[in-house]
Amino acid sequence: MDQLDLTIRIAGENGEGVLTVGDVLAEALARSGLHIYTFKNLPAEIKGGASMTQVRVQDTPVRSPGDALDILMVWNQENYDIHVGEVKPTGVVIYDPDECDADESLALTQIGVPLQTITKTVIKTMKSKNVLAFGILTACLGIPFDSAKQMVSESRWGRRKEFLESNINALKQAYVYVDENGIDLGLRVAVERKNGHAQLIMTGNDALCMGALAAGCRYYAGYPITPASDVMETLAKAMPRVGGVLMQTEDEIAAITASIGASFTGAKVMTATAGPGLSLMVEALGLATMEEIPLVVVDVQRGGPSTGMPTKTEQSDLNLAIHGAHGEAPRIVIAATNTEDCFYTAVKAFNLAEKYQTPVILLSDQHLSQRAQVMSRPDLSQVEIVKRKQPELNGSVTPEEFDRYEMTEDFVSPMPLPGRHDQHYVATGLEHDEHAHIDYSPEAHIRMTEKRHQKIESAVNEPGFVQRYGAEDAQLGLIGWGSSEGPILEALDRTLAKGYKVAALIFKMLHPLPEKEARAFIESIPVVSVVELNASGQFANYLQGRLAVSLQRFNIITGLPFKAGDIEEYIEGVLQYG
Amino acid sequence: MAEVPAADTAKTTTPEQPGQASQSATAKPLAKRTLKDYRSEVKPTWCPGCGDFGVLAALQRALAERNLDPRDVVIVSGIGCSGRLPEFVNAYGLHVVHGRALPAAQGVKAANPDLTVIAVGGDGDGFAIGGGHVPHAVRRNQDITYIVMDNQVYGLTKGQPSPSTPTGMQALRRSVSMPKMAPYEGVLEGQLNILAMVIVYGCSFVARTFSSQATEMAKTIGRGLDHPGFAFVHAMSPCPTFYNTYDPWKESFMPLPDDWDTGDRIKAIDMAMEEVGDGVFHSGVFFQDVYRTYTDKLQDVYAKAYGDEQATIDALMDQYA
Repeated sequence: MDQLDLTIRIAGENGEGVLTVGDVLAEALARSGLHIYTFKNLPAEIKGGASMTQVRVQDTPVRSPGDALDILMVWNQENYDIHVGEVKPTGVVIYDPDECDADESLALTQIGVPLQTITKTVIKTMKSKNVLAFGILTACLGIPFDSAKQMVSESRWGRRKEFLESNINALKQAYVYVDENGIDLGLRVAVERKNGHAQLIMTGNDALCMGALAAGCRYYAGYPITPASDVMETLAKAMPRVGGVLMQTEDEIAAITASIGASFTGAKVMTATAGPGLSLMVEALGLATMEEIPLVVVDVQRGGPSTGMPTKTEQSDLNLAIHGAHGEAPRIVIAATNTEDCFYTAVKAFNLAEKYQTPVILLSDQHLSQRAQVMSRPDLSQVEIVKRKQPELNGSVTPEEFDRYEMTEDFVSPMPLPGRHDQHYVATGLEHDEHAHIDYSPEAHIRMTEKRHQKIESAVNEPGFVQRYGAEDAQLGLIGWGSSEGPILEALDRTLAKGYKVAALIFKMLHPLPEKEARAFIESIPVVSVVELNASGQFANYLQGRLAVSLQRFNIITGLPFKAGDIEEYIEGVLQYG
Repeated sequence: MAEVPAADTAKTTTPEQPGQASQSATAKPLAKRTLKDYRSEVKPTWCPGCGDFGVLAALQRALAERNLDPRDVVIVSGIGCSGRLPEFVNAYGLHVVHGRALPAAQGVKAANPDLTVIAVGGDGDGFAIGGGHVPHAVRRNQDITYIVMDNQVYGLTKGQPSPSTPTGMQALRRSVSMPKMAPYEGVLEGQLNILAMVIVYGCSFVARTFSSQATEMAKTIGRGLDHPGFAFVHAMSPCPTFYNTYDPWKESFMPLPDDWDTGDRIKAIDMAMEEVGDGVFHSGVFFQDVYRTYTDKLQDVYAKAYGDEQATIDALMDQYA
């Protein structure tokens, strides 16, 4: 049996409800035992402008948004014109003939369904237009009416009894239309409602929040910013349920300094932001490094610079995350790769912050944070939680004798907590000695600089942050980081299947840099290229600087995620033509 | 946090709570602490004659009178001469970046409401670079005492005008340093009325005091510590090095009238506005009222969010199944 792999896109005017169609379809397919991967592309404005939502469905885990479209549904001319070029030669366009003219010269199957007119004259409730559209799609996928009816009842359209009847009627009209007009795409997507809770449907931001709470995060401060606001909103509901505190602060500077204050008392803390907010947090990140205070900062990257493209994706904050500081303020920078990984990387971020008493920047991005994917429910009993090194309770060391910044073997010193330990001290952003007393002497600055650097450098030995894939005798090596993992690995599998000798090295830890693995990979493969969503090749430049090697680059800056097809073409291009 | 009962109002009554380690070697569960117990091994770095010495002593005295365990006290500061104060007090201290003492203090208090949290800083730290945080600290009304040591000048950077420097030639004549920044016409910007601002923001406790009046200052800071909510103490603290205001302030300071009604916010605003024109500073509590604190309100949130038993992470994940 062929593997199921369909990419379905729905596009219309922003605010019209196309996104809901995508969401309900994705959730319904996911609950039916299939794997989904969504992709939305919308303007930053609340109403107006072209917006689209896409669902890729497979019967195995999905790794990238999908290449050319199998089914495109458009609600108006503007969206027809934007998207019709992305439909596969074997694909199908479903358009509203009353709202747009199809280009008859295209060699595509194009089916007119008067969504607007049917809604107006037959269903008579404009709100149900998206249910009609949903029904046309499920009917075209060959999903039986009864299954579709259950999907609608279990969705947000079924939540309010008074609308359910009209919504089911809209669904029925869809099936009637498809039947009466003899529309049959030959698809029979097998759906079976799965009960039980083993699979979760989450966005990257959802998974990240759950990971943070599982790791013990009980204080969050943040300021609204696209695309990180979902984190704050999800935690606004979840945090009080586990007895934590969520504070919406007046700006990002307050968010990070309040987080530092909370962590000073021993709480596990997080703040999430996007590029402009991370810029504002830079000064306080240096403070947390200097005072050795654990802190998790999530940066959901978006298109920059400046206000840039708030709803588009990019991997362009790497320089800021690693190097953004006055003076030298080493910190740990890690990146999540997919939805499931957002959960586990969030846990790791807290563990690293607590273990090394340092700020940890967790890089996500708009696409990773807002797309939905199916993941296995984490087994919380298997989640390891690291605790902060603290002085002995009821110890006999007086505050006068106690060294908060004691030079230990691993450069991490026990941290007393107010209200708990008698060994009170003053944490200061000024240079200090072991005793936390201000000290500008060359000796103190040398010792403490070394302490701060050595501590962070040793984190490179943490397992699970860099992984090699593909051929042992590769002719081409791809290096990727964070969310480009999925499309890189999918492209790798496709090209390996075609006989190309290609390998990939995926980094989840960016600072400190896993140099040993990077060097071994680069030195063993004739051509190595760094694949990332930015213009200048930020990770490539960083690797070149650290390793003194020469690297190729593959960058796109469309504000959209990589497609596996983009990378597949690149691999073939390099290996065929050099 | 949640497992901790609302303690915003408890700190003034039982000095030994929360006694997780009250029997330890360094705690003094029985002896009454004195000012000396709050003196750290670090000698203040301020210029001789600095008003901040008076504020430091008054704060130490207020802490001693309440017999607070240094383990349970956190003093948070930003940058500036006054920002160095936590170093000189025998207690926990958190010395952060310029202008951010208030958000840091709010994080401390939110994460552990049992702690006595005091934020300190100067007029530049609090009302120039950090001015955007003050209304929000007031809005949250956490039980934090905020002492602003106002010398109407930037001391640590050697004498530039601050938001509270008097406008025009007035400061110029009295200051040895001001001619650097405002050599022709004095300060062009208007003078912020810090006290009036804080009253208008809706602060639940607003007081003024003068570093040369030691007993009065300790009493006022103490009232701020006792106040269950965000307490603002405007501590006038002259800078003898760059803008010596000792003589004029000694003349212009006077207590609020005996029959002053601390419950009338409008009158307090009037007084704060009018005294500028009259060339006087009033000392005492301008306004005080008790509102529910952030911590109090969180208890309501917890009651609705989980009732008797906190949710498990597994239960939270059910919504994604």
